[in-house]
Formats: sequence, structure tokens, C-alpha cells
Amino acid sequence: MSHELRQPEDDDPVIMTAEQRSVWVYLAVVAITSTAYFAVVVPRALSQPIEDVSWITPMLWAIGVSIVGTIVGSIFGSIGGAIGLAIRGIEPKGQLEGDLRDKDIKKLGDRRSALVSGGAMFGVLVLAMIGADLFWIGNLVFLAGTVGAFVEGVTKILAYRRGF
Amino acid sequence: MPPKPTKVTNRIRALRFEYGEMTQADMAERLGVTRQTVIAIEQGKYSPSLEMAFEIARLFKRPLDDVFHYMEGGADDQPFS
Repeated sequence: MSHELRQPEDDDPVIMTAEQRSVWVYLAVVAITSTAYFAVVVPRALSQPIEDVSWITPMLWAIGVSIVGTIVGSIFGSIGGAIGLAIRGIEPKGQLEGDLRDKDIKKLGDRRSALVSGGAMFGVLVLAMIGADLFWIGNLVFLAGTVGAFVEGVTKILAYRRGF
Repeated sequence: MPPKPTKVTNRIRALRFEYGEMTQADMAERLGVTRQTVIAIEQGKYSPSLEMAFEIARLFKRPLDDVFHYMEGGADDQPFS
């Protein structure tokens, strides 16, 4: 494409939609909470019998902070995006809200994430069959949720940046 | 990281220019999508739905295959300049 066909307005900076911004927030929050969770639980698991490891409370905190953090972070991200546009004097209409492409990207991310969840469910079934401690079952589910979240997030970011 | 090419190419950018020098933002508003989506379609990073493809063609008052082209040989066979 030749540059003569480029309108001056086409050179305006392209900002992330609210959905894309939320994906980044989601990835960051999950990275922080899952790292914090495993930083607490793994040393305990290495230093005492598995059945004595206290993992439920840290996991509830990690899940709770992930949910609240993603919601709050997305709200602040949207506000920040709108403020950024206002400072640069760019009309926010048609720049921030999601559309069909966002929905298609969400479907793609959800499909990839579902593959991880499906595999984890099989693992949980096997652990239950062999009578593994609840620690292993709970943590496999949590790990699958974390990996699934990363797969989902990275898939979406690549779709936004490279296309699909 | 290079964009992932699709087999669907288009001449939306040229048509925007022909059709009253429409900006990406104008086109996005008329289609009810974000400017980011218009950019992604123009760059071949996103193939729109059939419905949206018809809407785009209607916007330029052109037949669909005057706007979009499917390359059977792969993304390197650029039919539009």
C-alpha cells in the first residue's frame, strides 16, 4: 500500500480497546496472585507432610484477589485509556468499546483455555481414582486454572497483535 | 513479530480514499466497530464476518469481490497493490 493513500487522521495513535486492556490486566493479576500462592504453599509442601499443608486459605485469597483485581484493574484501565485519549485530544468514540473482533478473539482464547481445563479434568479424575490427597487434587485444579488463564491471555494478545 | 497473514486481501484503504477520503475513524463509526478493527481488516490481520464484509462492500457501493479477494495460492499472491 502506498503512503499517498494514508489520511492524516490515520496516523493518530491506535490505543487498546477496553477488552484488550482487560486481557493485559488479567494476565498481570493472575501472574502476581499465582506466583504469590505458590510462593506460600510450595515451601510448606516441601517442609511438612502433604496432608498437614494449609493450602485452602491461601488459594481462596489468590482466587479472590484475582477476581477483584481483574475487575478493578479493568475499570482503572478503561478510565486511564479515556484520560489518555482526552490528553492527546483524540475523540474516544469508536476507540475504546469492544466489537465483533473482540468477541471473536475472546472465543479463540476460551477455546484454547478449554483444552487445558479438559486435560486437567482428566488428571483430577485419575488422582481421585487412586485416592490422592485433596492437596494434589485442589492444586492440580488451581494450576490448570493458572495455566489456562495464561494460555487464554497469550492467545488473545497474539490475536490482537498479529491477527488470526 | 510479523502479522499473521490471512488468505483474504482487500482494497479498503484505496476505496476509502476514492470514496470521499474517508478516514479509518469515519469508516469504523459507519460500520459500528472500533478503529482498531478497521485497521486490522485493512492490514489483513483479521478476516471480517461475511455479514460485515457485505456491509463494507455496501458502504463503498461496490460488489463484494471488488473489495475482498480470496487467494487460493496463499497470502504471498497479492492481487491488490
